[in-house]
Amino acid sequence: MVRSDPTQNRSNGPRLPAAALLALALAAAAAAGAAEARATAESRPPDATAMGASGGTAPSPSGSALEETRLHVFTLDYPHVQIPFEITLWILLASLAKIGFHLYHKLPSIVPESCLLILVGLLLGGIIFGAQEKSPPVMNSDVFFLYLLPPIVLDAGYFMPTRLFFENFGTIFWYAVVGTLWNAIGIGISLFGICQISAFGLTDITLLQNLLFGSLISAVDPVAVLAVFENIHVNEQLYILVFGESLLNDAITVVLYNLFKSFCQMRTIKVVDIFAGIANFFIVGIGGVLIGILLGFVAAFTTRFTHKIRVIEPLFVFLYSYLSYITAEMFHLSGIMAITACAMTMNKYVEENVSQKSYTTIKYFMKMLSSVSETLIFIFMGVSTVGKNHEWNWAFVSFTLLFCLIWRALGVFVLTQIINVFRTIPLTFKDQFIIAYGGLRGAICFSLVFLLPPAVFPRKKLFITAVIVVIFFTVFIQGITIRPLVEFLDVKRSNKKQPAVSEEIYNRFFDHVKTGIEDVCGHWGHNFWRDKFKKFDNKYLRRLLIRENQPKSSIVSLYKKLEIKHAIEMAESGMISKVPSSVSLSEYHEGKIKPLSPTEMENMREILTKNLYQIRHRTMSYNRHSLAADANEKQAKEILIRRRHSLRESLRKTNSLSRERPAAANTKRFLSLPKNTKLPEKLRVRNKTSSKVGDSSDSEMDAATTVLNLRPRAGKILRDQRQKQQRPLPEFRMEWKNEVDGKQDGAGAHQETSGQPQPSVGFRQPLLTRSRFGTLTGEDLSADHRSTGPMPPPRLVRQASQGERQRNKPENQPY
Amino acid sequence: MGSAHSLPAEMRALAEKTGFTSDQIEHLHRRFKQLSRDQLTIRKENFDSIPDLEFNPIRSKIVHAFFDKRNLRQESDGLADEIDFEDFLTIMSYFRPIETSMDEEQLERFRRDKLKFLFHMYDSDRDGKITLHEYRNVVEELLSGNPHLEKEAARSIADGAMMEAASICVGQMGPDQVYEGITFEDFLKMWQGIDIETKMHVRFLNMEPIGHCY
Repeated sequence: MVRSDPTQNRSNGPRLPAAALLALALAAAAAAGAAEARATAESRPPDATAMGASGGTAPSPSGSALEETRLHVFTLDYPHVQIPFEITLWILLASLAKIGFHLYHKLPSIVPESCLLILVGLLLGGIIFGAQEKSPPVMNSDVFFLYLLPPIVLDAGYFMPTRLFFENFGTIFWYAVVGTLWNAIGIGISLFGICQISAFGLTDITLLQNLLFGSLISAVDPVAVLAVFENIHVNEQLYILVFGESLLNDAITVVLYNLFKSFCQMRTIKVVDIFAGIANFFIVGIGGVLIGILLGFVAAFTTRFTHKIRVIEPLFVFLYSYLSYITAEMFHLSGIMAITACAMTMNKYVEENVSQKSYTTIKYFMKMLSSVSETLIFIFMGVSTVGKNHEWNWAFVSFTLLFCLIWRALGVFVLTQIINVFRTIPLTFKDQFIIAYGGLRGAICFSLVFLLPPAVFPRKKLFITAVIVVIFFTVFIQGITIRPLVEFLDVKRSNKKQPAVSEEIYNRFFDHVKTGIEDVCGHWGHNFWRDKFKKFDNKYLRRLLIRENQPKSSIVSLYKKLEIKHAIEMAESGMISKVPSSVSLSEYHEGKIKPLSPTEMENMREILTKNLYQIRHRTMSYNRHSLAADANEKQAKEILIRRRHSLRESLRKTNSLSRERPAAANTKRFLSLPKNTKLPEKLRVRNKTSSKVGDSSDSEMDAATTVLNLRPRAGKILRDQRQKQQRPLPEFRMEWKNEVDGKQDGAGAHQETSGQPQPSVGFRQPLLTRSRFGTLTGEDLSADHRSTGPMPPPRLVRQASQGERQRNKPENQPY
Repeated sequence: MGSAHSLPAEMRALAEKTGFTSDQIEHLHRRFKQLSRDQLTIRKENFDSIPDLEFNPIRSKIVHAFFDKRNLRQESDGLADEIDFEDFLTIMSYFRPIETSMDEEQLERFRRDKLKFLFHMYDSDRDGKITLHEYRNVVEELLSGNPHLEKEAARSIADGAMMEAASICVGQMGPDQVYEGITFEDFLKMWQGIDIETKMHVRFLNMEPIGHCY
């Protein structure tokens, strides 16, 4: 459990060394020991040996009160920190368990993660119960509704695929509102029927209490299902239906729950109250959405001005969404609706305003918060499962389970029959089955039942037991079997790929075609309204909410994002791009050198990976309020520009048929910048100014070719290898061109590439001959020693085609 | 409604050919007459009268598609000057939603037809290949709604997309290989991940005829 899997730690945060993990684990173990020891110590205070064992010099808290106060060299005051300490340990334990869980890669695909969390909770509950801990930190209503619930909902709302959601909005809404009502009332009433049978001893449960119970047990938990769905890539239609349903369903459930709870607390209920309740239901929902949308726009507007203070960008996202939640709660509106609406509204605009880094931060932080919340809820659940607060009643528990399943299945079936009439693509029977079967109950269900006021609900313990059984059944049995079922039923999958530029283009194109056709046939449909909104959006909203000089089209921004992502990935892993590329190592191929063996390749890659960019990281200075010089972003930009050049270069080649030898496409490409390399002055200046996609340095006419060689640190290792294998080493260098202005594309291509086949004539002249590069001379070695300081890369200008070697006379030396 | 009952046989033939229901055909016929100003054929100029279409960045491509003989399932090539109602229906039928009764083979053909239609929109010179030039054109047009965007950006995007296409379709290209353009087979490959059959449809069923569109 202590081992840290490198793939797990690939987040952009600093990598937690295994040693630190070990230390943490040890601390956790020690603390657990201390806690237990203290528990025993409390039960037998005079036992001095236990105290000695627990904390060395630490006097027990009970003892210290009697003693005269002396200055202690070392004291242990566990109660002071107990709650945060234990909660930290829980989260830590659960996270470590997650690491362990994912170590074996097949496990997560079989068992949903919520199973693991519940198990950890059970384990902890067992420990606490065994240690007879008096006061395990427990959840209360405020903690849950104000702190634990918002992150979960925010996460779901923010990552909701908006477009799909709105395409299926009707169905989702139908399932969520009507379906939840159906389930709540159905389960409530039929349970009430069961309660009337006096043999079961449940006659004291009233109809309202049953309805309340029904409403809380119909909260479907997205997390468990989605994990499974994402894992097996069900088709996006099904995915969004289940996702959207479970999200909205939470809101409905909470509203219903509060409604019934206040009914339960009332002495008498008049007809007016019922109507007031129904009206309340709508006001609560719609009011919440309005607050959310409003604050979402404000948030987007705020981020428009944050470009000077990037560090706090993510903060706005969280503050505004939390504010929307709290505000809605203040007016007794649905906070869940508010935060969802807020997240969905702002996400599109914020994403374009904030920097790439802030965006990543937002993403990770949101995921982290929600997983912490969820973990805590599950652990609370585990902890309270083991204990004495249960009341087992076979009839109630098993009928609850039965009704949950039946009403869900019936509900989905009946509602689908109705909604299918209105859907262009009807839901098949398989889809319906999966939707019904995917109704796992989870954290929210449990929290709601746990928070029932015992004064009003004398049988609260029975409710808790029933809910826990339902959750366990659905999470463990349905959660584990849903995957094989999807496979068995052969539900249509989506073959999800990474978002690609061409896909985005196609989709956009497609939208326009559809809207156009709708216009032609004079039909105002889905696409029509989307189009209208888009126009409105482009005309007013975007202008207002998004900073100037941003790429204004989603294709452009996607392209930019992809490029940067790609670049970063390459920099991180020294990856070989699969994209056929022109970065020409063709001369190297002409030299009839044997292709590298895979292991050699691996070595090279490792070397490259390890030597990339480290110097910059090291020199970074710490400042709490800003990150030094956005190093990564700059690197990304450099690489990005390089990549774009290479890309176009090869395109031009592929395009010009006159060429004999097009892009040396099958050459492997290491697109990366060696450490210690600086871009030539001119380029660096340009990098600063060019942040847009559009102006990607095409203005420069001198077509300078820069060859960067990945020589420095790797040199020694390379040489060692070479000596071992007595084989010439390949050159690893990157060549890239400032291309001729893009407007000349057509003509320029021919001109430029015509010289290609003869490397000695064209200006693709390698800087170094291969032999030179392969054998590291003494000069190279000395260069190696010098290379602790940054060294500018050699730069080749057009005249280099005369065969001049300029490698060691870099022109514009920055130093 | 009157015209529908007057020509039941013709109607049935059309319904069979294009797969529309008679209600849909009726709706479309009304629309057709509206567009053609009660003529038997539609010419390109008629499309100018659709106000909403004006803002469509790929307007010309869409209008073109209506007159593209390849889409009209005729053997000949080139552009038609005018289309009659049957042609109009034929074009519209590319946008029918899938039906549950379709079997695998029909679905596949359905999908192919839809993609073919799109492919023809890209392939403006009808050589069966989407060349880089054509691709750039499409992207430029797509982005033309945005005046702040330089052409250069559109180009680099098209280039990137083309590279993607090349890498998807050809994989690792040999050194002597030239990627000339996206053929229809390649096009199919690239669309593999997208459920075109569930996306490329317009709801013809509950169409509300719009009174005044001029």
